Amino acid sequence: MNIFNIAIMEFKRTIRDHRTLLFMLAFPIVLMLILGTALSNVFDNTIKIDKIHVLYTEKNDSHISSAFHTFIKDVKRENMYFSNTSASIDGKRAVKQDEYDAYVEITDQGIQFYGSERESMKSSIVEGMLTAFTDRYNLISNIAKEKPNKVQTVMASSGGSYVKETSLQADRAPGSMDYYAMAMTTMIAMYSAISASFLIRSERIRNTAIRLAVAPIRKMEIFLGKILGSIAINFVCILIVMAFSQFAFGANWGSNPGMVILILFTEVFLAVSFGLGISYMIKSDQGTRTIIMIILQLASFFGGAYFKIGNAQGFLKLIIDLSPINWAREALTKMIYNNDLTAALQTAALNVGIALVFLIAAITAFRKREGL
Amino acid sequence: MEIKNLTKKFGDFIAVDHMSLTIQEGEIFGLLGSNGAGKSTTINMISGLLKNNGGEIYILGKNIATHSKFAKMNIGIVPQDLAIYEDMTAYENVRFFAGLYGLRGTELRVRAEEALEFVGLSDKQKSYPKNFSGGMKRRLNIACAIAHRPKLIIMDEPTVGIDPQSRNYILNSVRKLNEMGCTIIYTSHYMEEVEELCTRIAIVDHGKVIAEGTKEQLTAIITDTKEIWVEVKTCEHIDEKSLKEIKGVNTVTIEENIIKIISQAEINNLNQIIQFFINHGLEIRSLQEQAPNLETVFLTLTGRNLRD
Ligand SMILES: Nc1ncnc2c1ncn2[C@@H]1O[C@H](COP(=O)(O)OP(=O)(O)O)[C@@H](O)[C@H]1O
Ligand SMILES: [Mg+2]
Repeated sequence: MNIFNIAIMEFKRTIRDHRTLLFMLAFPIVLMLILGTALSNVFDNTIKIDKIHVLYTEKNDSHISSAFHTFIKDVKRENMYFSNTSASIDGKRAVKQDEYDAYVEITDQGIQFYGSERESMKSSIVEGMLTAFTDRYNLISNIAKEKPNKVQTVMASSGGSYVKETSLQADRAPGSMDYYAMAMTTMIAMYSAISASFLIRSERIRNTAIRLAVAPIRKMEIFLGKILGSIAINFVCILIVMAFSQFAFGANWGSNPGMVILILFTEVFLAVSFGLGISYMIKSDQGTRTIIMIILQLASFFGGAYFKIGNAQGFLKLIIDLSPINWAREALTKMIYNNDLTAALQTAALNVGIALVFLIAAITAFRKREGL
Repeated sequence: MEIKNLTKKFGDFIAVDHMSLTIQEGEIFGLLGSNGAGKSTTINMISGLLKNNGGEIYILGKNIATHSKFAKMNIGIVPQDLAIYEDMTAYENVRFFAGLYGLRGTELRVRAEEALEFVGLSDKQKSYPKNFSGGMKRRLNIACAIAHRPKLIIMDEPTVGIDPQSRNYILNSVRKLNEMGCTIIYTSHYMEEVEELCTRIAIVDHGKVIAEGTKEQLTAIITDTKEIWVEVKTCEHIDEKSLKEIKGVNTVTIEENIIKIISQAEINNLNQIIQFFINHGLEIRSLQEQAPNLETVFLTLTGRNLRD
């Protein structure tokens, strides 16, 4: 009951702290709007694709033949035209000469694929569809490309017909607003650390720590109440930012709100524990504030909060991987665009794990202290 | 309340040194001492904020080391520094803190309202303390300590830095609380307040009780000294040392243009003292012998002024 009262009080007082509230809400939303609009062409995925022409040969009478023909019929609706070729034509050369966008050989061993280098977008769409097709039929796919690494095709094989599945291709990466909605929401979640670093300290500064400490309640009740209140109000802010980005900016948060909320919640938990932990590790107010600000800024920058950092390698990649904002955003991306729930659960577990380390450090220091 | 051999060290520094005191129910007990004497530290140990390094504390007959919750329930603390939330209304402040003492629902509301009324802030219930005057904040600070109706109320310098009107209000509230049955421990470095208010007084210096008793008992200590105040026109060049050499003079302190001399009572040295001022070309404006007060007691016992 005391924990609850203290949590409510913390919640209420933060709501009245208009400056903090404005920062937690307006800052991410405005940045989302600015960056999401200004950098929209960087993320543009909605390239119009016209007709795709694919050349194919069937060696022998392969057992996938009938399925493949159904496939061909289906993909016509997607503006993809397969033409059978006689053995006399060199399919690879036809592709090289840009007569076709891709060449496919169906054999007993599976499907061989050659994509056009020039029409990489088209060829990768064909590749994706074929991958889905082969996945679906449990075939051994043996896809060789003239230039490997060219396109990383998403391999998903669950649900729907393969055609529908792969026609989502163009939406399978976040657009700019989707990206910044995730980036800003995960960034501002980490900023909960700032208010958390003052959670107990502010009670000491205001001397209210004295009243709390002389009251007939346990010290841990105070501690837990304060943390709960802080997590609750920060989490509500994050949810508002998220909901706003979805309804006002149309950001895509996927079809798994439960998991999104889990990731964001564990991130707020991590941030609050981190702020509190640091405030017990560093003696001075100014020091705590500085350290937290530096870490948050670095984590935001390298975590891709302001712009996407692509293809990082070596040391840069290491720094990027250290940013909780990056973990959270990556996990969200994988989940929203790939239906990859494992990454989400792993990230949630990682957040909770690190949060507990900071929390235990803070609790140990807190219990040792006289007063609060 | 009783404390025995209470000791507190901060590192090597002994802030409270084997202090023993007994306070009866119904008393207004004054702890008088200059800044840094160890008053707050003592109070913080009684309230459970600090752990003592030695000695025992009993509240209503129970050792607080083993009955901490009982002790805490029965104590109300008015901290030396304001301890209120500026971003919660006066009512919310009182209600929140009283709620920590297990009060709920209607009882909690009524007690909180009563406490605010007691300190004269009923009409400010819904206002935020950030808009309060210093005196109003001090009064709210008191309301937060009394809503749970503690038997023992400890006030640590509750009148520091406020206007005379609020000060009188607070002193009257202390008396009223006492009449309502509360035992009160009142610390101050204002001699007048303690003299006026307290039934018994302990003078604390360097963490020790150096004298204890009623005002009369304490001033009786100094039957053997007298205090002479000499007011001069200017006192820029006073040779304190040779003034002290006059037979019987114990201490000399200078406050603005008043020279306060404490001297042994049985030695008649008034002539020499006057002669001293004449010899040094200092024009005497007035000269009077003070009735002994706590200030004199303090000065006699410690050789220092209370406000030093
Ligand atoms: N937390 C602390 N750490 C170190 N020294 C302290 C601490 N609190 C008080 N002191 C020292 O103990 C002495 C007594 O302080 P305090 O009890 O506050 O005096 P008072 O209330 O009588 O003015 C002072 O010299 C003060 O500097
Ligand atoms: Mg003090």
